[in-house]
Amino acid sequence: MSTSKRTTLQHAAEIITDGSRLTFSGFTIWRRPMAIVFELIRQHRKHLHLIEVQGGSHTEFLVGAGCVDIWESCWVGHELYGKYGANLSRKVADKQIIVEDYSHAEMMFRFAAAASGAPYAVTQTSLGTDIHNPEYDMLGRAGLRDGKRIAKHKYQFTEDPFFGAGSQVLIPAAKVDIAVMCVQQVGEEGTVRVNGQYYSDPEVARAADITIVMAEEIVPEEYLRRNADQNTIVSFEVDHILECPFGAHPTGMFGRYDVDGAFLKEFYGRTRTQEGFDDFANEWIHGQNHMSYLEKLGWPRMLNLKANSAMNYSPREKKGGK
Amino acid sequence: MSVHAQPEQYGLADLLCCAASREVGNNEIVFAGTGLPMVAIMLAQNTHAPNLKLIFEAGTLDGRPPELPTSVGDARCEMGASRASGLYDAFSIAQRGYVDLGFLGGAEVDQYGNVNTTCIGDYLNPELRLTGSGGNPDINSFAKRTVFIMVHEKRRFVENVSYITSPGWRVKKWPGGQFVHRRELYGSAFRGGPSAVISTAGVFRFDEETGLMYLDTCHPGKTPTEIRDLCQFDLDISRVKGETVAPTLEELRIIHEVLDPDEIFIPKVKKG
Repeated sequence: MSTSKRTTLQHAAEIITDGSRLTFSGFTIWRRPMAIVFELIRQHRKHLHLIEVQGGSHTEFLVGAGCVDIWESCWVGHELYGKYGANLSRKVADKQIIVEDYSHAEMMFRFAAAASGAPYAVTQTSLGTDIHNPEYDMLGRAGLRDGKRIAKHKYQFTEDPFFGAGSQVLIPAAKVDIAVMCVQQVGEEGTVRVNGQYYSDPEVARAADITIVMAEEIVPEEYLRRNADQNTIVSFEVDHILECPFGAHPTGMFGRYDVDGAFLKEFYGRTRTQEGFDDFANEWIHGQNHMSYLEKLGWPRMLNLKANSAMNYSPREKKGGK
Repeated sequence: MSVHAQPEQYGLADLLCCAASREVGNNEIVFAGTGLPMVAIMLAQNTHAPNLKLIFEAGTLDGRPPELPTSVGDARCEMGASRASGLYDAFSIAQRGYVDLGFLGGAEVDQYGNVNTTCIGDYLNPELRLTGSGGNPDINSFAKRTVFIMVHEKRRFVENVSYITSPGWRVKKWPGGQFVHRRELYGSAFRGGPSAVISTAGVFRFDEETGLMYLDTCHPGKTPTEIRDLCQFDLDISRVKGETVAPTLEELRIIHEVLDPDEIFIPKVKKG
């Protein structure tokens, strides 16, 4: 390698400019690139267009902070720790954000199409639902379907021309500018090893024009190449790497740390209103950096979340609940 | 043999969990969502359906978690699984037709089993934006049977849902939006549809030809007319079979001592 892919948190966030079409690694409240999300909020990023297989806590932070103009996805919430996305709900009611609804499988297949260079995917999911109601094409209603940055149509119907299998729905490839990933290990040349479920990480990394990987640790590339069959994302798909321990907190990471349920519960409870969100952001994001954030969390809390290396989760963390 | 619990020995969540568990057949491939369905499926795995195969939407295939996961993305899902992969695999497997049964939830349901998890009120001017679809319509489109677990309130059992997130037996044909039988729309991909709604009042099933919901069993203490009054549509109560079977003592032991001792999803009944 002639040039290093290493970058810093601040610079990684600067790569994501105003108006970027952005997506993420992870699943709902697992392996979300929170440290970069917090840095984007500190840098007051605006007009982002999130295109996600599904949303989660990171979506709620970005939406609450006013960074997002368009959210194209299928689900947002904090699982057990917050039953819906209160910030998104508020902004939808106030018409401060455009939401384009697809189904979960549609979003996944849209990314798979983009990752293989195909213009669209074909599926038979969600036929007969309001997801395909032509009145509910929100990007179309907003006049944003230019056929360049945003697909000309939300979907198209066609009949199977090959086997006569009936009605099919065509959905546009999820074309994104940047994927921001949060993983366990990345090599110096960009090879990624994800442990545990890899969710939709391989597809989103391949679909994006620029892929930024924030890892719990940067390891010698040669170490990952000793067992290439265990690697998840190929080196040349990755443009920038950085090391950021506990960078997914308060979301969890297989084999490293659990979801901080108490943190998410508190976030959900306190951010029903904009004032509540601003107050939370002033406490945990603005005026902080990643190290001061970890200091504020404190070792006892982090150790409680730390995964047992044989079990890959923390047997100490009380999972909350009823 | 199995001894059924007395009413004071179990809670409503126990009853729902056991009723849901009984929907699962042995050797079936089951798609599991977060929450009570996960406990119900693991209960079936620990009782009458030891050979069931469990798929978690986030990518765990044929999972046998030794400890209850808090969500399908949880690190607890993988342990003991045949394969830990991702959503592309999970949804491809579903679309390919492997899935027998899916457990789902919803905020509203109509008489055809159409379910809404997207918004309350007009979509273009919503009173409340909810979580959105997630995999609800996908599992419901691809599985042979789906079972919905829902809180029963009159405002939730409605004539028409605010937004059809997940397809029931009669669905909208676009671009016009007229209701047609699901079979007509899905063509060769038609495999079935909602087979039961398990609410906090009773168990409901569907006439697959008319697509209409009917009351199958009443939970202990509830009458058919009471339950019909809890629906905004005219619920068919002519086919009621009787009472929902109470949990057995063994099922309660497995739920509270083995699966969910920390009461993450199912609270214990407080004694005295």
